[in-house]
Order: sequence, then C-alpha cells, then structure tokens
Amino acid sequence: MRPAASRLLLVLAALLASALLLPGHVLAQGCAMCGTAFNHDDPVARAFNWSVLFLIAMPYTVFALAAGWLFLAHRRRSGRRRADVIVLRRTQAADGPEESPP
Amino acid sequence: MTAESLTMPRRLTPVPAAPEPAVSNTRLAIVIVITAETMLFTGLIGMYLVFRLSAPEWPPPDLPRLPATVAALNTLVLFASLVPLTRALTAVRRGDVAGRRGVHLAAALGTIFLAVQGAEWVRLLRHGLTPGSSNYGGAFYLLIGCHAMHVLVAVLWLATVAVLTERGYFSARRYAGFEMSTIYWYFVCGLWGFLFPLVYLY
Repeated sequence: MRPAASRLLLVLAALLASALLLPGHVLAQGCAMCGTAFNHDDPVARAFNWSVLFLIAMPYTVFALAAGWLFLAHRRRSGRRRADVIVLRRTQAADGPEESPP
Repeated sequence: MTAESLTMPRRLTPVPAAPEPAVSNTRLAIVIVITAETMLFTGLIGMYLVFRLSAPEWPPPDLPRLPATVAALNTLVLFASLVPLTRALTAVRRGDVAGRRGVHLAAALGTIFLAVQGAEWVRLLRHGLTPGSSNYGGAFYLLIGCHAMHVLVAVLWLATVAVLTERGYFSARRYAGFEMSTIYWYFVCGLWGFLFPLVYLY
C-alpha cells in the first residue's frame, strides 16, 4: 500500500474511533433550540418539525424530477437515433448493394 | 511536379452535421431558472408553515378572512389561460399561423388574474389586513405577493411574445422563445395550484 493511502486510512480510523468514544445521547440530541427550548407537545415545535421536513424534501424532489426528465430526454433521443439508423439501412437495402470503387 | 498535382483532392462526401443535443440549451436554462424559483418558494412556504401551524387560531380573530370564493374564480381564470397557450404552442411547432393567437388570450387572462388580485388586496388593506398587522398579514402578502410578481413578469413575457408573434418572428423552426415563455407560465400556474389551497383553504 502506498504511504499516502495508508496515512488516509489511519486518519479515517482515528476519526471513527474518536466518534465512537462520544456519548450516544449527545449524537441523538439534534438541534439545541428544537431539543431543549420546546416541550414535546408544543405547537411551535410541531410547526418547525413539519416545516423542516418540507424544506428537506423539496430539494430532493426537485432534483429527482429534473434528473428524471433529463434521463427520459436522453433515452428518447438515443431511441430516435436508432430508429434513424434502421430506416437508413432499409433505404440502402432497397436501393441495392453499394458499388465497390475501382 | 506541377502545382495542380500538389493540391488536395476535392472532398465529395458531405460533412456530417453535429448531432443535436437531447435537451436544448434554452430548455436547460428555463429548467435551471424554475428550479431556483422553486427553492425560493420552498423557503417562503416553509416560513408560512411555521406561522400557520404554530398559531393557536388561524386567521387571528380580529383580522378579516381571505376572499376564498373570488380567489377560486380567479384560479379558474388563471388555469383557463393554459388551454389557448398550449394550443398556440402546438400551432407554432406545426407552423400554423392562424392558431398562434392563443398567446394573446393567455396574456389577457393573466392580466385579469392580476387585476382581480390587486383589487382584493386593496379591499383587504382597507379592512385592516396589512403586512405589519400580524404574522398572518405578513406571511400572506409576502407569499402571495412574491407569486404575483412572478405572474407579472410572466404576463410581460407573454405580451412580448404576442407582439413578436404578430410580427411573424416565430416559425416551425424557430420557436424557442415561445416555448420558454409557455414553460414559465406553466410553472407560475402550477405554483398557484399549490399556493391557493395552502393559503386560502387550509
């Protein structure tokens, strides 16, 4: 293994080990405001939860829609090219074999 | 060796044309614009949801209710504009000159939508619902006002396209500007289809 790769692995292992040493409840606490400022049944906390869910979901939705549209456009385009090649071959077959150069 | 024998032979086979991209640059540009606009409205809707869901009573008891019936009729006017505009785009793509006038009607319907909304806003302001009156007023005017600004831009764009159509600018081979304005109008109408139930009915 090259020294740069082994050094990177060592750094990653050290980061993983330090992350495992942290107490678990700190990882699960989340945002300080939402976790501590509001009660469990607080309507403001509920409103923030729904709003954050919406704000998280929208970029993924928009990205997926745009990517799906681009994918379909490329597939349709390549299908049209294949159809053009088939038509060209049929036309050439109907015209007869090409004359070989002298 | 003569000079004629040194010249390159004349190329008889035609140069193949560059392949047309699957998605044109103009379409890609309008998709990027719409994506950015969607994220802008996502932030505004997120703000509205926080105010709406955290309020004990919505709308506040001392403020006027939103005119849902007039807004519903206005929604029909806005959605009705999609029919002539779609027909006009189809006519432009086919090279049909007579069917292109739908863009004039769509621009007129968009103007009616803006006029009715402006009149309703004046009425609401007179009844005490101002942007500074409460979170309710502030969120309403910010969200619906931002959409109205987009409708205004789209109507101006459609009006420009209508003038260019009259001058014979668009053809079956050149209609990118027409198509872009139509896609933007679809976006504005689709956005209203989401905002109207959220703000006026929910």
